[in-house]
Amino acid sequence: MNNINGANLERLIEQIVGAVMAELSKKDGAPEQNPRDITTQESRKHILLQNPRDAQALARMKTRTNARIGVGRTGARYNTQTLLTLRADHASARDAVFLDVSQKILDDLGLFTANSRCASKNEFLTRPDLGRQLDEESCAKIRASCVLNPDIQIFATDGLSSTAISANLPDLLPCLLDGLKNKPAVVGTPFFVKNGRVGIMEPVSELLGARVTCVLIGERPGLATAESMSAYIAYNARVGMEEALRTVVSNIHANGVPAVEAGAYLADLLYRVCEAKASGINLRRTSAK
Amino acid sequence: MDRNTITSVGIDIGTSTLQVAFARLVMENTARYFSVPRVAFTDKELIYKSPVHFTPLLTRTMIDEEAVRRIVRREYERARVTPENVDTGAVIITGESARKENAAALLDSLSDLAGDFVVSTVGPDLEAVIAGKGSGAARYSQSRGIRVANMDIGGGTTNIAVFDDGETVAKGSYDIGGRLVRVEDGRFVHVSESAVKIALSKGLRLELGGRADSDLLRKVCRTMAGLLEQALGIAPPSPLLSAIRTHGSTPFCAPSDIRALCFSGGVADCVSSAEGDPFRYGDIGPMLGEAIRQSRLCADFFQYQPEETICATVVGAGAHTTSVSGSTILHREDILPMKNIPVLKLDSLEQERCYEGDAPYLREKLRWFLNQSDASELILALAGDSSPSYNRLRTLAGCVYEAMNAVLPEGVPILLALESDTALALGRMIEALAGAGRSVICVDALHTEQGDYVDLGRPMMDGMIIPVVIKTLAFG
Repeated sequence: MNNINGANLERLIEQIVGAVMAELSKKDGAPEQNPRDITTQESRKHILLQNPRDAQALARMKTRTNARIGVGRTGARYNTQTLLTLRADHASARDAVFLDVSQKILDDLGLFTANSRCASKNEFLTRPDLGRQLDEESCAKIRASCVLNPDIQIFATDGLSSTAISANLPDLLPCLLDGLKNKPAVVGTPFFVKNGRVGIMEPVSELLGARVTCVLIGERPGLATAESMSAYIAYNARVGMEEALRTVVSNIHANGVPAVEAGAYLADLLYRVCEAKASGINLRRTSAK
Repeated sequence: MDRNTITSVGIDIGTSTLQVAFARLVMENTARYFSVPRVAFTDKELIYKSPVHFTPLLTRTMIDEEAVRRIVRREYERARVTPENVDTGAVIITGESARKENAAALLDSLSDLAGDFVVSTVGPDLEAVIAGKGSGAARYSQSRGIRVANMDIGGGTTNIAVFDDGETVAKGSYDIGGRLVRVEDGRFVHVSESAVKIALSKGLRLELGGRADSDLLRKVCRTMAGLLEQALGIAPPSPLLSAIRTHGSTPFCAPSDIRALCFSGGVADCVSSAEGDPFRYGDIGPMLGEAIRQSRLCADFFQYQPEETICATVVGAGAHTTSVSGSTILHREDILPMKNIPVLKLDSLEQERCYEGDAPYLREKLRWFLNQSDASELILALAGDSSPSYNRLRTLAGCVYEAMNAVLPEGVPILLALESDTALALGRMIEALAGAGRSVICVDALHTEQGDYVDLGRPMMDGMIIPVVIKTLAFG
């Protein structure tokens, strides 16, 4: 392509246009019946790279990482599908942050709603300190509606992903409560807090006089999943407690730890924290003995 | 506790050789601190490998039990291991030895020597897999992400396993080996049935007492190598190939796209080196090795050099027979260990019926299985949904409990093995239904197949996991 003169260029363009038109007319007759959902796990497995040297090996590599490998490129740019998938995943992540947990899910689980001191999502994002406090009205509501001085207090909050709560709580919470039924511990009344951060477990614990507090919270969504939920657990949680005293179980979602299994596991873990009278690094120490 | 070391023994009583190996297996919680625990083997170290003994025989059909016990006991002493210190492992009787009259009795007589949770396994299919793991072929396949075939050519049988990305995708066994024909003072002193068949296919006769003509034997060995080419799918299969399939093995179907081939077993050493008198071992091993070296097996496939050759099976038995269950499981220490539990595997359609609560169907299936396998206990195995809803799992729990409680004799525990990570949740639900009536054990991360047997060991790592051995055949 060293000497592109006018005539050559014209011929080249003609060729390209011809090829593109031929390609288009081929597809014209058979429009895709079901446009693929490009955000599913299935479509992630799809290899977009053209003519890979070893398609099998690439498929295996893709099973081991969430990174977008083997997607090919056009010049220095992504291919259209890669770009669209990225945008779709980013949209899911934004939805997870900005949408609310559906009222129906909370109703089905029999959870009432309390509020942090954040009046809006915007305030929630810009004022982390307010997300760690309960508003006054909610304090009264919680005190009036809940079993006081429970051994184990469980509540959920949307955190940075309401999607995670919608996706996992309906399966996790019943498993967790079932698992605690035959343990000799007083289990508090579960509820939901809107616009809460992890630290809101401390005022909740103080308000109810709980021994063990567990908050189920949506994790900051990434481009791999927007549905990941965590459980933060603390013994005798008090405002200003050290972060190291929290026990964490993260990565609860359909492609991580399944919600039902996490529920069953958390039941045992919460009881262990209650028995050991310790959480976080202190729990590590007691179990190492 | 985040780390635990266990000692594992492998005892391989083969057609012609007997070996003992000990391995140290390190279990560790590999999950990050902020996650649900996940225990896995993080290190496997071979701590002792015995010299190769000849399998002591009383007669052609009887193994010398006392002599075997003596050898095994001496190897324990040399390795400075006592049976009480052995946590797990496998005694395997392979090749023609498994067909000796007293094979089952021999396993029994070794049980006191071999520690508490040592399983006795046989079955040519499993041997093939064990050898492929012992030779390093499985690991090679996994590290490269490719399909690798391992041929373990022993005295009586050739066990073939194909691994794809570390997972077994095909396994089988043929009666081809280095000691099918034995020679003393230039005469045949032993000719196996399959050797006669193979020779006859070329119009050749091998007769006991006949003169051991090396040209004749070379032709026989070339035919054997040709059969192995057929087995791996690089030559069209002949009827003879299925005629020499090892009794009790499943038909081997070579997958396409095998990228590397690995030889283990005693004959493997003869494939790689050409030196010496062809009758130096009094058998056809060296000639079989030579025939394979000159065959298309070596020309068509990239050859991977194994980590173990003659010791592949015993190292595999010692280091690679035990697996760990998932780390969130339900178990009952008081009824473990349990051995030789037959597996009833549900396929995906049957599993779906159970998730939908079809207890009568499962009950009939369980009845049929217990009758057919003449067993009083079983472990119900299913792949399981990767993340089922609470209600779906509850329906499954109800179905499994109802059916198993109706069919299992009184006092027999409900045992379940899942692949998906949902054992604790499902186990707890069934436990709640069963109350004090039945014990429940529910484990996951186990891949089993119909016809397998399972041994469940005592809980380890603070009760997080139990060691499990999955085998293809149980003796006695």
